[in-house]
Amino acid sequence: MLLPSTSPTVAFQPEYYQTEKSRFYDGKCASNSRSFSPSTTVSSGEFQRQSRDPSPRGRFRFCVCTGTRKPNKKTLTKWYIKQPTWRLWGEEKADGALYTVYLKKVRYHRPTRSLSSSHSDSDDEISHLEWETVRVRFVKAGTLKKLVEALSTDDGELETEWETVRVRFVKAGTLKKLVEALSTDDGELETTYINVFLATYRSFSSPKEPDHHEQHRKTLISALHVWLDSYPEDFKEPPNHPALLQLVHFCEEFLPATELEAKVRHRLDSFAMRANIPGWKRYGLPDVPVRHFAEQLTRMDVELFKKLVPHQCLGAVWSRRDKSRSHEAATVLATVNQFNAVSFRVISSILVEPDIKPIDRAQIIICWIDIAQELRVLKNFSSLKAIISGLQSNPIYRLQKTWQAVPKEKIELFDELARIFSEDNNQWTQRELLMREGTAKFADTVGENDKQLQKVFQKQNNRTANISFGTIPYLGTFLTDLTMIDTAIPDLISDGLINFDKRRKEFEVLAQIKLLQGAANAYQLTEDSLFDLWFDSLLVLDDREAYKLSCQIEPSLTNTVKNKKKAPGHQKNDSIASNSSSNSSQFYCDIDSMPSSPHNSIDRKLSPSQMSNSSSSSSLPSLDVSLNSSHSGSANNKLQVPSANNSGTLSPNHSQKSSPDFYIIKVTYETECVETDGIVLYKSIMLSNNERTPQVIRNAMYKLSLEGNPDEYTLAQVLPDKEMVLPSNANVYYAVNTAYNLNFILRPKRNEDTDGSGKSKGKSK
Amino acid sequence: MTRPPNDNLPTVKLVVVGDGGVGKSAITIQFFQKLFVTDYDPTIEDSYLQHVEVDGQWCILDVLDTAGQEEFSAMREQYMRKGDGFLLVYSVTDRNSYDNIIHFHTQILRVKDRDVYPMLLVANKVDLVHLRKVTEEQGRELAHKLGIPYIETSAKDPPLNIDATFHEVVRIIRNQPQGDNDKRKKKKLQKLGKCVLL
Repeated sequence: MLLPSTSPTVAFQPEYYQTEKSRFYDGKCASNSRSFSPSTTVSSGEFQRQSRDPSPRGRFRFCVCTGTRKPNKKTLTKWYIKQPTWRLWGEEKADGALYTVYLKKVRYHRPTRSLSSSHSDSDDEISHLEWETVRVRFVKAGTLKKLVEALSTDDGELETEWETVRVRFVKAGTLKKLVEALSTDDGELETTYINVFLATYRSFSSPKEPDHHEQHRKTLISALHVWLDSYPEDFKEPPNHPALLQLVHFCEEFLPATELEAKVRHRLDSFAMRANIPGWKRYGLPDVPVRHFAEQLTRMDVELFKKLVPHQCLGAVWSRRDKSRSHEAATVLATVNQFNAVSFRVISSILVEPDIKPIDRAQIIICWIDIAQELRVLKNFSSLKAIISGLQSNPIYRLQKTWQAVPKEKIELFDELARIFSEDNNQWTQRELLMREGTAKFADTVGENDKQLQKVFQKQNNRTANISFGTIPYLGTFLTDLTMIDTAIPDLISDGLINFDKRRKEFEVLAQIKLLQGAANAYQLTEDSLFDLWFDSLLVLDDREAYKLSCQIEPSLTNTVKNKKKAPGHQKNDSIASNSSSNSSQFYCDIDSMPSSPHNSIDRKLSPSQMSNSSSSSSLPSLDVSLNSSHSGSANNKLQVPSANNSGTLSPNHSQKSSPDFYIIKVTYETECVETDGIVLYKSIMLSNNERTPQVIRNAMYKLSLEGNPDEYTLAQVLPDKEMVLPSNANVYYAVNTAYNLNFILRPKRNEDTDGSGKSKGKSK
Repeated sequence: MTRPPNDNLPTVKLVVVGDGGVGKSAITIQFFQKLFVTDYDPTIEDSYLQHVEVDGQWCILDVLDTAGQEEFSAMREQYMRKGDGFLLVYSVTDRNSYDNIIHFHTQILRVKDRDVYPMLLVANKVDLVHLRKVTEEQGRELAHKLGIPYIETSAKDPPLNIDATFHEVVRIIRNQPQGDNDKRKKKKLQKLGKCVLL
């Protein structure tokens, strides 16, 4: 309805807005007629009216842009001021609403010839089009009632020729006025207004309020259709979907056997669907199919991006939310979490083997650069930026020896990809790229100096001539823009009217997101559950842990200077190095030694939403001193350990000195029926030298998504001929047997081992 | 005020960091808003550039404020690397945001691989007296501990110390011991050179 699903490659935004805004008219000026003369149009001489000029070029000569803005080549979103067909006329005040009035030249299609000839002065049969001045009134502000009223036009007749019409845009209004503006007297739907309204009303009203005004049955039905189609989440509210149920009852009573009722019922039914695809193989960096990996990352992003609820990005919702209301921005948070999950996996995959040669570590970096390149081709800017961010994060960036082992072309390619996200000139490169390729079929924009990317695209053009892709944007830029709009523009204008201009501005951003969401349907990617398994099993480090590992691999310049007096042997990587296997794939998905058959016992850990949730907060609690914002979405899950160096993190040197040694251990969960399970899934966790059994169990439970009381579980190290059950309060770091692989089994205590307390029974499920 | 000279001015990159909801964006907007009297557009390429005169010397301030992106924690270090100076912002109404400052501080020093770096501790929202949870003493204590200056701000009308905050960071950047800076850079270059030779 609102958005064209695809449009040509260039300049999607102006085109889109032109179509959109041309529906904004709401009635012509009473004094206007189709045949008025140029001199009556506007008193101002600025208008060079090309009367009855059938050429579309005419409109560009029509109106002189007024107003002084800073010179700026990129303000496409400002088109209704900049566009020559528009001219600011002034403000008008009517009871309960404030309007911005524009004069605008628009073109209407003559629906049928007979209709047009019914008009009195159809002497001009040859020309199907005429250019006329349209007076456009935007509601600038108004009461809600007025804003709802503004949805309906005074004049339902569609003009068949160009006319001078006065168009009112609600600028501001009271809530009541704004709601009234939703419906038109003649039942015609004012599409753009209703979309701006529905996309932003949460900032000044609640979903319950607008419902009460149902003056126009036809309009109401249309409004409900738009609402259902565009904002399905308003009706979701699992598990019982009360809003949807209410709507079903409403339809039964007032609108039986209508299309709307069918739609609502269908919606209700479709809320119960799931699909699972089993399958096993294993992946280990760096020998992975990079294109496939890029596609799988994109598949995950597409899923989240399509579910993204644009209005949750609004500054008033996303950036003003507090913890108690974080669910209101759940779909945004899920996207953010997925971004971080990718970045953290890039970082940890490069660091997790402290002992490998720089040349081998460089292979993993190269692999990620290759995946990033494929993501560029797929126009997935979210995961692309996530990988770039991971590679530019401090723990990776500082590994000079490793980077020196990366071939020059790969470094060039990496630099070219990183340039896309340069902060220079307010993210100009990225904005421009999104503008050009947002709804294009495939990626084809390269800078003059992007030699490597030019080669990539050349190759690409031969490979996938007929495949078209959607676009996944990096959401952060939109979030910042919306936060800034929310901060810079007041909610209310004088007289306490709702500032609808602000909402319009916000909608410009939301409309871009929606447009890209529509375009994302072009992706056709099948799910590889094995990839999900690999992804989920990768270790995740928080920034401090990653930095420590990085410093073990290449000691910091400052630290080496400061720590010179230390015995060199003290620096050696005795913690992880001696214990992690030399086979790098072992950390990722260690299922080779197990009888492998498809099994769904681990499915619960693999749903994308859970996955991204857990990954966002899966940095290990053991070293987590206090914060950080990345955890705030799941603060409840965060486990804290009083850490010896809590107050000592003032400088990196200090924290380095007091850093505990740690092992990375792998834990699997075993239920009593493990014999029949077949598949064993290991999770890697960090074990630092001050952690005792209950803490380690808690960490393992967290990583394995288990809930319950840690006292109800036991932890045992798997040795070649037996298991070593850890005593209930041992210091695990010193208790483990480092002569063997650090594989552990976590299992619920059986009745006889519950230390006589029967409380644990039944809860450990 | 004299007019900015036309010749090439040094560009100073400032990065605003701090938790979500501490009013970072309000500080930035308040500082830049003067230029956008009527129509604010966050997507314009020079939205966050401004010529300023500090102590008689002109420079171009280039401010990076990623408000709204706080939870993209994985990319934080990436933009920290770009900054010549930092505003560490917390809200005096939010104890957590105060506690988190130390982490931003640590992370910046780590990214810069330095023991000190130009930073300013900014206690924002001091207009909300009745909601205040972090006192001025606590703010100053933290600043002392981190070895950086402290300033109290409000972005509400009438704004308090907003311009002063940005000017102060410029001063801190200018006043950092140059010798230390150069030595450090030289050391890095030497090291790089050696590696290439090897």
